[in-house]
Amino acid sequence: MSLAYLAFRNMVSKPLNLLLSLLLLVLSVSLVTFVLQFSKQLNRQLDKNIAPFDMVVGAKGSPLQLVLSSVLHVDDPTGNIPMEESEFLEKSPLVSEAIPVSYGDNHMGYRILGTTMGYLDKYNVSLSEGELFAKSFEVVVGSTVAKNLDLQLGSQFFGSHGLASNSIETHEDHPYTVTGILKSNGSVIDGLIITNLESVWESHDHDHEEQVGVDEEHHSKDVHDHKGEHDHDHEHVNEAHHHEEEDHEDREITAMLVTFRNPLAMVQLPRFINENTSMQAALPGFEIQRLMNLLGSGVKTINGIALAILLVSGLSIFISLLKTIRERRQELALLRTYGLSTFQLLGLVFLEGLFLTLLGFLLGWILGRAGIWAASFITQTNYGYGLEMNGPDTNEMILFALTILITILATLLASTSIFKLNISKTLSNA
Amino acid sequence: MITTSDLRYSYSNATEFEFPDISLKLGEHLLILGPSGIGKTTLLHLLSGLLPTTHGSISIAGTELNGLGRKALDRFRGASMGLIFQRYHFITSLTVMENLKLRLGFTKKNIGSTRIQELANRLGLAEYLNKKVTQLSQGQQQRLSIALGLIHKPDVIFADEPTSNLDDENCDKVIQLLKDEADLSGSSLIIITHDHRVKSHFQNQLSL
Repeated sequence: MSLAYLAFRNMVSKPLNLLLSLLLLVLSVSLVTFVLQFSKQLNRQLDKNIAPFDMVVGAKGSPLQLVLSSVLHVDDPTGNIPMEESEFLEKSPLVSEAIPVSYGDNHMGYRILGTTMGYLDKYNVSLSEGELFAKSFEVVVGSTVAKNLDLQLGSQFFGSHGLASNSIETHEDHPYTVTGILKSNGSVIDGLIITNLESVWESHDHDHEEQVGVDEEHHSKDVHDHKGEHDHDHEHVNEAHHHEEEDHEDREITAMLVTFRNPLAMVQLPRFINENTSMQAALPGFEIQRLMNLLGSGVKTINGIALAILLVSGLSIFISLLKTIRERRQELALLRTYGLSTFQLLGLVFLEGLFLTLLGFLLGWILGRAGIWAASFITQTNYGYGLEMNGPDTNEMILFALTILITILATLLASTSIFKLNISKTLSNA
Repeated sequence: MITTSDLRYSYSNATEFEFPDISLKLGEHLLILGPSGIGKTTLLHLLSGLLPTTHGSISIAGTELNGLGRKALDRFRGASMGLIFQRYHFITSLTVMENLKLRLGFTKKNIGSTRIQELANRLGLAEYLNKKVTQLSQGQQQRLSIALGLIHKPDVIFADEPTSNLDDENCDKVIQLLKDEADLSGSSLIIITHDHRVKSHFQNQLSL
């Protein structure tokens, strides 16, 4: 019979002691691994999604909100900007690419984004079936959208006004038709319905035709604020094909997503836009960094709490081993008469502590991953991004080493009495 | 086989115990009798190396206990001696079978694989092998305690007051059992007791 087996049997022979030590260990390990993993994946997810764009230009407001809405597609937009005003970006020598995006509607909570083919290229998407949209009211859908809404090629649906799924107002005159379904690539694309800009504009034009009486005053005010010289309402009664031509002067978009040609642009462009136009420029990298710094202090706090629990769990292992040694003094003395040396007894206690640690760490790690798995459902539903299930990473290895270190310390402290064990006295004064 | 000379021992500086010299051949039995407080258990713990020899010398199977280091003494005790304690000591998290296996496991001796079963049959423990030791009755625990003292066929078996909690009938049975098993294992047997009922069973006696 091996020492390891005896240590194992000793460990499970006191289930309540075991449970307490185990519970504390599982709690701290699961908390640390969950938080580390979650923030790491959030960071990576954000980085991946903002990576294609150096700058976002949109309506004035919170720069963070602009980035969240136009790049990450989670918040409401800050407003619209006139297409014409932003078009200078496409011609600027500092800009390698400027992609317009326009919002308006959603389908069952998934956003319908009007943009150009350039947007799809930026995220390196490929089609899993069908083809890209060729004309207005044709859409390609992300893999998550297709799966959750059970959309197939040729499926038709009406957009609902606004960006939230609880909107009751639908645009029932123009159905969207699915022409393509995109392969999942883990980016924001997975949760989007993508069409051309004209679809978004036309859908709202028709809307406006019907509501022209109600909305007239408000609408013309809107337009005159931005582009006083055009008669907006008159434009609406023109034929639809008219819009599809080069007549973009009064068209509005939500934002322009910009890639710089060189680092100089980073210095000059945002400043120029913020000072000389009615628009604002936001740098996604900078805004997300700011956001993560805010979240970072929360992560640090939770990790601090978890590490405190880890120390308490180390203390609990120490007390539990100390109790074990006291209660089993006679058994340890007996083992000495069976021929075991002091160091073998030490090994026995250490193995018991080690098993406890390994079991606790493993269970805690699994629980942490189960937490990620559960959180993945929530992020998937609310934001369209799932979380990945990863193997152990470097931080978790460090945590593991730390836990083992605490066990070794706890064992050594608890087992000093083994060195002082008086077998003769222990066995005769039972 | 077992020889001692000029053994003395004192706890702190109070009384000093002086023990007569012992000389015992392999396979012989010895009864050491004496009243409580005379140092019987002290003698037994000296002989088994649980207490260090501070005065005099002990030799068992040609090995001087004084000459052994701590670790070597532990190993020598485990392989060459069997101890049967006045109070029963077991590993309570293990079953009867596992306790016996554990006792065998740490000796380097090559004991036949049927030894546990045979011994359990003779001691009436066969049907309790898979029980926890805490589930055994007093009598069963006593017999297990004896089994643990000689399962590994030691050179010498030390038994400390093996009959103190027993009625007359069981007293005779246990002594007979000890003698028989010691003979079957080819071991010497040293019993220390204050129990005069045991006297008639032994020719070789020593009074403290």
